[in-house]
This record gives sequence, structure tokens and C-alpha cells, in this order.
Amino acid sequence: MKIQQNHTSDINLKIKRRRWTNVGAIYLILLLFSVLFMGTFLFGALSSLKDDPSSWPPTLKTEQLSPKNWIGAYILARQGGGGGFFGELKSGHEVSFQVTYKYPMGIKIVPPQVIVPKRFKGSGRAALELDREFVADFVKIIPVEEIGRISVRDGNQVSYKIDIINPSQKDFDELPLDLLVPYKVDFLSATLSPNRIERLGRVQSWNNLVSGVIPYIFHNHFRVFNENYSRTTGRRLFTTWIFNSFFISIIKVLTTLMFASMAGYALARLKFYGKNYLFVLILFSMMIPGQVTFISNYLVLRDGIFGLTKLFGGGSLLNTFTGLIISGLVGASAVFIMKQFFEGLPKEMEESARIDGASTYQIFSKIMLPLAKPALGALTILTFQGVWNEFFWPLVIITSPMDKFTLTIGLLSFKDTYASGTFDWGPILAGAIISALPIIILFIVFQRYFVEGASFSGIKG
Amino acid sequence: MEGGVFSEVRIVGWGGTDQSIVEELINKFVVPELADKGITAVYEPIVDDFQKNLINSLSAGTAGDLFYMDIFWAEYIIKAGQVEPLDNYLAKSEVLNKDDIIPSLLDAFTFEGKVYGIPKDFNSLALVYNKDLFDIAYIQYPNENDTWDDLENKLAKVVEAFDGEVTGLALAPEFARFGAFAYAAGWEPFVDGKTNLMDPAFKEAFNWYTGLKEKGLGVMPADIGQGWGGGALTTEKVAAALEGAWILGFLRDNAPNLKYGATLLPKNPGTGQPGNFIYTVAWGINANSKNKDAAFKVMEALTSPAAQQWILERGLAIPSRKALADNPYFEKDTPEAQANKIVFLGASAGNVKPFKFKEYGGKWMEPRNN
Amino acid sequence: MENRWSSLKEKTAPYVLLSPFLFGFIIFFSYAFIRSLYFSFTDYDLFSVPNWVGINNYINLFKERLFTTALKNSLTFAIIVTTLQTIFALLLAVAMNQKIKGIRFFRTAYYMPSVTSSIVITLIFMWMFQRRGVINYLLTLLRQHGLTIGVFLTLLTGIQLLLVVTEKIRGRPVEYLEPSYIVISIIFAFIVTYVLKDFGIIKLAEVKAVDIFWLNTREKVPSWAGPLAFPRPLGAIMILNIWTTVPTFMILYLAGLQGIPKVLYEAAEVDGAKGWQKFWYITIPQLKHITFLVVTLGLIGTLQMFDQVKIIGSQAPLESTITLAYYVYDSAFPGASAPKVGMASAAAVILALLTLTIVLIQKKFSGEGRDLRD
Repeated sequence: MKIQQNHTSDINLKIKRRRWTNVGAIYLILLLFSVLFMGTFLFGALSSLKDDPSSWPPTLKTEQLSPKNWIGAYILARQGGGGGFFGELKSGHEVSFQVTYKYPMGIKIVPPQVIVPKRFKGSGRAALELDREFVADFVKIIPVEEIGRISVRDGNQVSYKIDIINPSQKDFDELPLDLLVPYKVDFLSATLSPNRIERLGRVQSWNNLVSGVIPYIFHNHFRVFNENYSRTTGRRLFTTWIFNSFFISIIKVLTTLMFASMAGYALARLKFYGKNYLFVLILFSMMIPGQVTFISNYLVLRDGIFGLTKLFGGGSLLNTFTGLIISGLVGASAVFIMKQFFEGLPKEMEESARIDGASTYQIFSKIMLPLAKPALGALTILTFQGVWNEFFWPLVIITSPMDKFTLTIGLLSFKDTYASGTFDWGPILAGAIISALPIIILFIVFQRYFVEGASFSGIKG
Repeated sequence: MEGGVFSEVRIVGWGGTDQSIVEELINKFVVPELADKGITAVYEPIVDDFQKNLINSLSAGTAGDLFYMDIFWAEYIIKAGQVEPLDNYLAKSEVLNKDDIIPSLLDAFTFEGKVYGIPKDFNSLALVYNKDLFDIAYIQYPNENDTWDDLENKLAKVVEAFDGEVTGLALAPEFARFGAFAYAAGWEPFVDGKTNLMDPAFKEAFNWYTGLKEKGLGVMPADIGQGWGGGALTTEKVAAALEGAWILGFLRDNAPNLKYGATLLPKNPGTGQPGNFIYTVAWGINANSKNKDAAFKVMEALTSPAAQQWILERGLAIPSRKALADNPYFEKDTPEAQANKIVFLGASAGNVKPFKFKEYGGKWMEPRNN
Repeated sequence: MENRWSSLKEKTAPYVLLSPFLFGFIIFFSYAFIRSLYFSFTDYDLFSVPNWVGINNYINLFKERLFTTALKNSLTFAIIVTTLQTIFALLLAVAMNQKIKGIRFFRTAYYMPSVTSSIVITLIFMWMFQRRGVINYLLTLLRQHGLTIGVFLTLLTGIQLLLVVTEKIRGRPVEYLEPSYIVISIIFAFIVTYVLKDFGIIKLAEVKAVDIFWLNTREKVPSWAGPLAFPRPLGAIMILNIWTTVPTFMILYLAGLQGIPKVLYEAAEVDGAKGWQKFWYITIPQLKHITFLVVTLGLIGTLQMFDQVKIIGSQAPLESTITLAYYVYDSAFPGASAPKVGMASAAAVILALLTLTIVLIQKKFSGEGRDLRD
């Protein structure tokens, strides 16, 4: 008896153990796939922090993510008189900075030459700011002080302290720095890692010592917002694009919800002439790519819908949000989803309401719509996602001015803005990551609706 | 002017730096000049695919009144009758005179005796080199007296001094660079209306250009992970590159401390001449514009001596007026001013041709680039 | 009077409810489609009045190399991407169909590519596909560690085989891919490989950085495929596209999987069916409707691929990426020549017909009696 029992528990244990290993294997596989699907975003996001995201080899090591540099950026910004997270160089403040070099045997040990450069921008609006005040004209550089020397195997390791004072009455938001050492002297470390090493290692160059931690880490993201703005209105373009995309998405979600449920209900429950033909036509339209019909649509909008807009004092609908919205008030697929949903609802309530003398409109608004909440939820998300990500229509309709771009078209314009010869991938990646954020957040919060929408309609692509 | 009628001239051009420049020009030169005449101007940048957008908008009737015309594709829209001939306006103008503009630039926009565009600025190629590499190798910098062979020797010495860690010239595999050497050898792209690729001059240039790569004295920018000569220079792995003044802004942003110099392209040993391209963009007036007179006034203001002086002083572009040749800016001792001067001189040194191929546009080059 | 009014109201109700939808649908689809059809028989160029030219546009299209390239690219793209994404979506769904903790997290992670826009994803992929980009770097690493990986995999198979065979000799029923053994094999193989490497028995291969032109090339792959080969940049877009669409279709399959009655599997187990037999004889036939839907949606989606071509733009030669949808756009809005609306419309009509035909063929072929409605 006892032996018997032992045997069973032994088997149980074995089964249990096996179950655990099975689960382990499944997790392993699932994790591998997560790396595949999310890794791309994460890698893109991490690299968007780098000074040069296309440096080779493309490792995950990022100066902007090293805590040593965070501390350095914090300390320097505090010394400059600003906050540690968002810094500046205030009047009367002194920034103190340490740097270590290795001088090989045979090279005379001379302290680095300290230069606060007047740095001109080569592109964008900033290229014109030649007459602005440069911090270089106001700061005083205190003679470099040697603070340590260790003799190592084939040379000397020397540390210097560099002090820069702002004796003027002005505050500045940046303090660029260049250090120049003789050829073959190796840069080892500094309070804050340099943004660039140039001239065969002779120059270490910092964009801004006093940026503070946040702008230091997210400098490409700040560039996205700061470097692109409309000269006519002065508004930041990237913010405007985000706003435009939100505005258009919300309007289209509202029109779609309203009109798609109306049409879907009519198609699902009401009798009218040509119903079947219409439904086939809707299915047909869902298969036809937008490129097939876009020429006519472009012309229709150009002429203000057969001149109708002239009645309201408007003209061409190209380059207008109205044009963008009106050409896609409600998509055929949204109608299709709502029709499917309404068909799946039981008929009894509707029939008894009709016997009680309710009109079609009453049945629709009082009974059917409240029942359709889950479908409307999924449709909201699907439509929002579709409009937010829409590329082709805005590309055709909105060409200028840049204030009217949606986020997708705006991002496309980054390809030209940041492509003087080679792509400056920093702001391009940063812009891409920022513009994906709203939809990703929305997705994480309303995950259920996304999945429902996808599975009970299967309409995407 | 016309009874105090208010007219707004829409100017269409590229995005990026151009937008800033033109808007600044509008504020500084157009507004003060024309505000009391009831003319205002607004700049509408087109960031993505300028040509495509311009042609669309011309067809839709929504194009601006005044627009950029690149010499490279201008001929097509001019032939389509979309650009207003300027001769009548020029005849009446008090400010703008054909003779003030550098003739080779104006010729590029003249068809069948009519002027269709006023060049706003131009560019040519220069040999831009990294001074550090020559200094460390103790080699004399390239200069305007160098022939192809001299340059090749200097590059070879630099490569040797760095044990092959550095190569000589960034060789973009495209006609827009190589062609300048073919011109130096005395090549003409079209003879009797036909392409002329079997010409010995073309072959000589081709062999020299590609030979540099074979000898290890040149590298394609793409091979060191870069898209063009400017990118290649910033890696400090090439001693020199062939680029125009457009490289300067790029270097400011991407290699602010690079010690660079610029000189004219080397001479062909046979002809004793360098060759070069002229790249230029002009202002054109929309033939269907309702604002043509106002647009011309704006054009006058944008190309006025004062406006061009302002552009030049900031090193933003090289203006098209002859009179600016002895501008003090060109004597400034900064690398940028010197490079700009070389680009300016390049446009008239040796066998120079505008960067265009009749009405073939870019199609002419495609198969040859590969 | 009152009655007549309300009866009229009832009669017109369907049309009133439909009217906002119909307004857009008629103008922006029906009219537009008919107009495209009409333009395709004219020489319209946006500037002048259209002239009737009969079927000339269609004839000229097939004489134009860019068009035939686009047609071929579109078809290759649609077939390869649809096939692969369907297979991957199914496999992934089977892997995901687990009742374990944290499955929500994985679903979220997997679905992410499907919710982000084509521009964001294409930009990130363009960056990764640079010559000195992440993809080439990973390939370089792979080549460098090729020996290590080879040793690891050999060990893995060896240990697994050893374990399974000993179990079989003892007369216990085990499958070759028994997951619990795989875990053990992985751990052992890893340890042995690590030790071998630590002692310097396996060395890193000295290789040059992999330098594949993913975008800026006219090269065709695979090189042995002759006329069936496609340009490598198109291949890059295929990878990108499969990566984005697999999760959407996985969700569809997942819903389908959860609808398969458990009884079927239990009955099969009683009959002694193995894992893959259950998959082959129960799962796949049960998911037939879903597969039809996935393939149909896949074909429709891939045949209209446009965004990626536009976004990659001049980073790749046009012939290497152009699709029918892009050809239509490019002929209607060309850069430096007159708009060819007639040709563009003819190509658009061909694109529409192609989509319809392929969907109908696939419907017939898959023996799916019901249509999209299900």
C-alpha cells in the first residue's frame, strides 16, 4: 500500500516537473519572438539617443545612457546656475570640468588648449543667426590647472581641471567647448563624454556642457521640436503636426462612428431597393486600392466637389483639412463591420419595439446604438489607428504649407530636412519614435479593443 | 501701384535652409521696398520632391507666382509653356539688367533667344581637402597649378604616410563629379546632336578617375559607409573630396573643427585646363499667374545687389551678379570664405558647362552611373 | 395626414440612414472608379482636354519596361509575402495559444508592429538596412560566431537525440521534440560550448564586415532563381512587411484556434495521434475559413503596397522597388515630364482587375464556398 502511494506521488512529481519544463520552453519561445517584434523598436529608441545613430558597429552602448554622464551633466548644469535636469549658464557662475589624457613617451606634456567656440549652424533656420550673441564673447577661461599625474607603462596619465566663468550680466542656455591636444595624445575620460572626437583625436568637442540631464539624454528629441518651426506662424511644426493628426483622427472617428452605424444598421436590418447590389459593391470597394481611384478624387477635390464649395465661398479643397476629412467621412470597411455586428444581434427587442409603434429612427437610436457599444469601441480604435497612420491621402492632398501636414507626411519631410548628403538619423529616428508613442500608449490602454477589432473584422491592410 | 490694389506674391521653393534664407530676404528686402506699392510676398516651401509638386500645382492651377527652377529640369516646364518669358519685363526694369548677371548662368535659362529665368545663385565643384592629413604627412597642399598627375602624386604620398589607413580622393561614382574631368580633357557631351561617349577625351578622363580607385588612391563614399564626398570627409579617412559650396553648411554641423582647404580642380595635363560644372537655380514666373507684374517686382528685390550682398556675406550662397566678384567677403581669411571664392572662380576656369542635358533631364545619366 | 407623414418617414428611413455614407461612396468610389475607367481610354494629362485613344494605353503599358517591372514586382511581392506571413501567423498563433501567466504581455509585444504606421516602421527599417546598419552588423556577428553556433546546435541535437533514444530503449513513449528535454539539452549544450570557448578551442572567425547593399542596388536575389529572382530592395520591403502584418493575422488565427472544440483533440489522442498529426489533421482543416480570410486580406494588402516604395524613395533605384500602385501614382504625378493620366488610369484598372482575379482564383482554389461575408 505504502509502496503504491510512493509510486503515484513519484509519477505526480514527474508530471509536475515535466509541466514546468514545458512551460519554460514555451516562455523561451515567446521571449525570442518578443525580441524580434519589440527589439526593433527598442533598438531604434535607444539609438535615437545617440549622437550618431549610424556609427559602426551599431551597439547598444550609448553615452547618453551612462549614469556617469548623467551625473556629469547634472553637476555641470548645477554649477552653471540652472537646474540639474534643465540647465543654463547664469551670470556670475563658474563651471568646473575635469579631463584626463594619456601622453605617450616622447610627447611633451602640455595642457590642452581650451576654446569656447562660436558655433554656427550649417542648416535650418539657425544658419542665419549670425548676428546673435555668442557665449564665447562673454565667458572667461581660467588657465588650465594640472591636478594629477600618474606614470603608466608607456607614458603618463595626466588630469586637468578646466574652469570657465561667466562674468557678464547675461544668462546663456549653452556652453560649447573644444579641447585641443597634440597629435597622438589619447583622450581617456572627462566629467562628461564629448559629443565628437575630431581631427584624428586631437580635438574633443562638446555641444553644450550645461544642457542638464534631460536635454543631454534626449537631445535628438529636443532637436525634433526645436529645429522645425514655421517661419510664418512661429509655431513648432512637430507639435502642430501632432495636433493636426489628433484633430483629423478625432473628427474622422466621430463621423465614422455616426455614419457607419447608421449605414450598417440600414444594411443589416432594413429593406430597401438595391440592398444586395450595394453590399456587393461595398465588398468590391474594399478590395480596390486607393491608387485606383485617387486621380478622380484628386480632381474632384481640386475643383471643390464639382464647384459645390464655391457656394460656401470656398475654392479648391486641396491643401485643406476639409478635403482630407470629406473624402473619407466613413470608410466602406467601417460600414461592413457595423453591418456584421448588427446582424449578429437578436431581433426580438427590435420587433417588440416595432409592435409598440416605435419608428425606425427611435429603434436605431434608443435600442440598437446602446447595444452596439462594444463594436463602436473597437471601431473607434480601428479608425483612430487607421487615420493616425494614414499616409497616401495626406501625401496627395496636403503639399504645403508645412503647418498643414499630418504627422505621417511631416515625418516623410524629415527625410529631406535631415538629409544634407547623408541622413542625420538622430532626429529622424527620434521623430519616428515620438510619433509612434501616442498609438502605442493607446494600444496598451485599450488593448482589448484593438484585438477585438482585428479579430472580429479582419479588416486591415 | 495699380490703384493701390493689394497683391500677394506666392513664392515656391525648397524647404530647409532655403526657406529661412528666402523668408529673411523677404523681411529685409522685399517688404521695405514694396510694402507701399501694395505688394507682399509669402514663401511656401516644398519639402518633398519639389519638381513633382511644382508640376502638379502648375497643372492644378495652384502653383505659386514665382518659383525655383533648377537648370537640371527647367527646360521641360519652359517648353511646356508654363514659364513666362522675361524679356519685356527686363526691357522696362530699372533695377534688373541682363548684363549684370554672369553670362554663362543667364545663357542656361535662355531658350530661342528668350530669357525665362533670373539665376539666383550658383555653384561649381572645388577640391576640398583635409589639411591635417597633408600636414602630418608633410606634403604640400593641393593647389590650382596642379595637374592630374601632381594631384595623384600628392594623394599617393598621403596614403603612404598613413600606411593605407587613409585614402586619397572620395570618388562619387556619378557623372556629376566625373564629368568635370571629361570636360577638362576637352570632351563635348553632344556632337551633331548625338551623345559622344567614344571620344578619346572621355576615355582618358574615365581611365584616370576610375584608375585612382584601382591604385588605392580613391574610395567610393559608400564603401566607407557614407553617401557622398562631404560625409566621407567627416570620417577623416579621405584626404580630399570634390564638392561645391553646399558642403560648407554640412561641415559646420558635422565636423565643426575640421581643418579644411579648397582649391580649383586639377588641370588636365594635355589641355592644361581644368573642367567644371555649373549648377544653378533661377527664379521663374508662372505663365498663368495673375500677379506677373508684382511677381517680377519681387524678383527684382530678391536679386537686387543689396540682397545678393547680404547672402554672400553670410556665406549662404554664391550670388549671380558679376559685380560681386571683387567683394571684400572673398578676401576674408576664413576657410569658408576661401572655399566660396574657389567655387566662384571655378565657374569661369577652364572648360565649364552647365549641369544639364538638353531636355533629357536626369534620364541621360542613369545608365552611365552604373 | 399625420399617418402619411410617418409612413413616408418610415419608407425613406433606409435612404436617410444611408445618405451620408452614400454621399462619399458615390463620389469618392463609384464615380471615381468609373472615371478611372474612362481616363484609361484617353490621353488626359491634367492640362488639356482628354482625347479618346481606345486601348492604346493598355498596349503601350505592356511595351513600357517600368510597367512590366512594376507588374512583376507586385506579383512576386504579393505571392511571397502572403505565403510567408500566413505560415508565420499560423505558427505564431499556435505558440501563443497557451494558458500561461503573462500571455497578455506577449500579445501586447507582438501586436506592436501592427499598430504603428508604415512611415515609422519604414524609417526604422531603412536605418537598419543601411550598409553600415544593424542588419549587416547582425549578419557580421553571425558569421563571426558561426563556429560557436554550429557547435552549439550540433551539441543540442546530439544531447536531445541521446536523451530521447535512451528513453525509447527503456520503452517509454516520448516525442523527438519533447520540450522538457529540449530545455535540458539547451542548458547542457550551452555549458559545453561556453567551456570550449573559454579554453580557446572554438575561436571567433576573422571576417570582414558584411557589406550587403539592401537598398541601393539593382541586384536580384536569389541569384540562382533566374527570371524568378526579385530585386534585393524589394526583398528588404518583404521582410519589413511580413514583420508588420504577421501579428494582425496571428490574432485572427488565435481567435480561430480558441474556437476549435477540445473534444476533437481528445478523440485524436485516444486514437494515438502525435502532436504534429493533430496539427495537420485537426488544426489546419478546422482553420480553413480563417486561412481563406487571411490569404484574401493578405493578397489585397500586398497588391496595394505603396507607402514603403514612396518612403524609401531615392534610397533605392526605382526599378528595384516599384509596384503597380506606385507606378499609378508616379505616372499621374511624374517629376520632370507631363502627367500621363491615361497610362496611370490604365495601370490602375489593371491593378483592380488583378486584385479581383487573384482573390477569385484563390477562392475557387481553396474550395471556399462562402465569400468574404464569413
